[in-house]
Amino acid sequence: MIEFESVTKRYSDGTAAVDNLDLIAPDGKITVLVGPSGCGKTTSLRMINRMIEPTAGRILVDGNDVSKVNLVKLRLGIGYVIQQAGLFPHRTVLDNIATVPDLLGWDRKRSRAVAAELLERVGLPANFAGRYPVQLSGGQQQRVGVARALAADPPLLLMDEPFSAVDPIVRASLQDEFLRLQGDLGKTIVFVTHDIDEAIKLGDYVAILRAGGRLAQLAPPQELLAEPADDFVADFVGRDRGIRGLSFLSSSGLPIDAEPVVAAGSPLAAARDGAGAGAGAGAGAGPLVLVVDEAGRPLGWLDGEVAGNGAGTVPADGLHRLGGTVSPDGSMRRALDLALTSPAGRAVLVDGEGVVTGSVTHEAIARHLTEQLRAGRTNDLSRSPR
Amino acid sequence: MNWGWISDNRDMIIMLARQHVYLALVPVAVGLLVALPLGYLAARWRRFYPPLLAVSGILYSIPSLAMFVALPGLLGTKILDPLNIVVALSIYTVALLARTVVDGLASVPEHVLQAATAMGFGRIRRLIKVELPIAVPVVVAGLRVAAVANISLVSVGAVIGVGGLGQLFTSGFQLDFLTPIYVGVGLLVLLALVVDTLLVLGQRLLTPWVRAGRAR
Repeated sequence: MIEFESVTKRYSDGTAAVDNLDLIAPDGKITVLVGPSGCGKTTSLRMINRMIEPTAGRILVDGNDVSKVNLVKLRLGIGYVIQQAGLFPHRTVLDNIATVPDLLGWDRKRSRAVAAELLERVGLPANFAGRYPVQLSGGQQQRVGVARALAADPPLLLMDEPFSAVDPIVRASLQDEFLRLQGDLGKTIVFVTHDIDEAIKLGDYVAILRAGGRLAQLAPPQELLAEPADDFVADFVGRDRGIRGLSFLSSSGLPIDAEPVVAAGSPLAAARDGAGAGAGAGAGAGPLVLVVDEAGRPLGWLDGEVAGNGAGTVPADGLHRLGGTVSPDGSMRRALDLALTSPAGRAVLVDGEGVVTGSVTHEAIARHLTEQLRAGRTNDLSRSPR
Repeated sequence: MNWGWISDNRDMIIMLARQHVYLALVPVAVGLLVALPLGYLAARWRRFYPPLLAVSGILYSIPSLAMFVALPGLLGTKILDPLNIVVALSIYTVALLARTVVDGLASVPEHVLQAATAMGFGRIRRLIKVELPIAVPVVVAGLRVAAVANISLVSVGAVIGVGGLGQLFTSGFQLDFLTPIYVGVGLLVLLALVVDTLLVLGQRLLTPWVRAGRAR
């Protein structure tokens, strides 16, 4: 656990980067510091491992005042990931990952074995071990940066905008894998970002700081969306709070309609019957029928009229786009989004194996949400894994 | 070209070449050893950088012959002492390399330094394990200039009687005999090429990561 007790950082010209900050980053959780530039979020992070010394107040790590701990020892026990990864250009990927074990004096065999394991764990192929950072893409470098921070298995991780310098698609996959990794490791993480969407996606707790280094609100992300403390937080959290809040509601309680399916390769006549059965929910594109593969996993929507004109079998391609499916742990937001964008006007729900279990329309989702709100139960719904 | 002269004077030519290598390269080594701490100080405390730059500029602008002649008075050495040449060329090398070392250390990206510090490198360990290795390509570029410049400058020493292969020039001129001059020029060029090649090879061995980046 990391505790900030009335921490202030004031520069010699009198300006405060951080002003009387009280904050707790609990064990095993991701606490995100977010705010506009100049809000002192990076300064706060760097005071934890004493890259910057506070002017007043104390910071405790597991109850120990960091200013009383040996500097090198403190830092060796805290993983650190920064924006451009900060890899050592002159050392191979494996040597980079083994940096802290080397500093701790582990024997080489052990440190390289741990490094190789971490390389795999962050999703990089083993043959990257001997490469140099310059031979890696930005996203790959960042993975190595994360592996390096984890090498000596520190309980604490400080991350300073680690995913900001990569393109949005790579960023999203890095975020997803980071959450998966954290699900396994359960580190205590303080994460700095200027991106509120990233904060809401990653944070178990989000601390919004305002310019001048004052804490505006510290709360779990769904609470931030539902009950912003003031106008500043509401503005910072941004538009579409209501819709984004649905990310934190599980889709598991939704009323599911049966969805007739036809298997690819079966006679088209079957598809014609299916299209008739499912026509009720059709959204303009004519009656569409859901085509599945032999295991029952959805492939796409077949136009019932096309099926009506032909003989032969149901095709596996050339179908209307499925767009995606809602898995059992999927969020309400995903269900609603798919229902709105599906050519058939309904989101396809699947089980853990990806097999179709049914569908739901956006009208049904709206009705369900209205009932939940009326019953005041939205906060009781189990939280989805985002 | 008098080939007979070359074979008759083989031993002397080899002796002069060895002296030349010694007079040129010992100052490179000494210069590097002095320039490293100076450059580090100027890189760490930026206010030392402008004076360092000014002093090295002034030192470098002193004509070599003037330096060779002035040094015995300052050092208390004899005018024909090879030490004069070594000291003079060491001064030039320091003047050249101090700036290079500063540039080399400045070439280490800020985020790399940050990461190193945050992971628990102390200042000295960071310098030796991170900053100096990353500065190697820039420093070697300076070493190549210094080495070749020194190889050429040693010849000037021949005017005051200590000059390695340069003595082939003085005796050639005195005797109005071109062969030693040709031999001297040829060996100087060869020597410069060999030393430069060795430095490049040395750098490749020390910095495989630079080539990895280019091959990308």
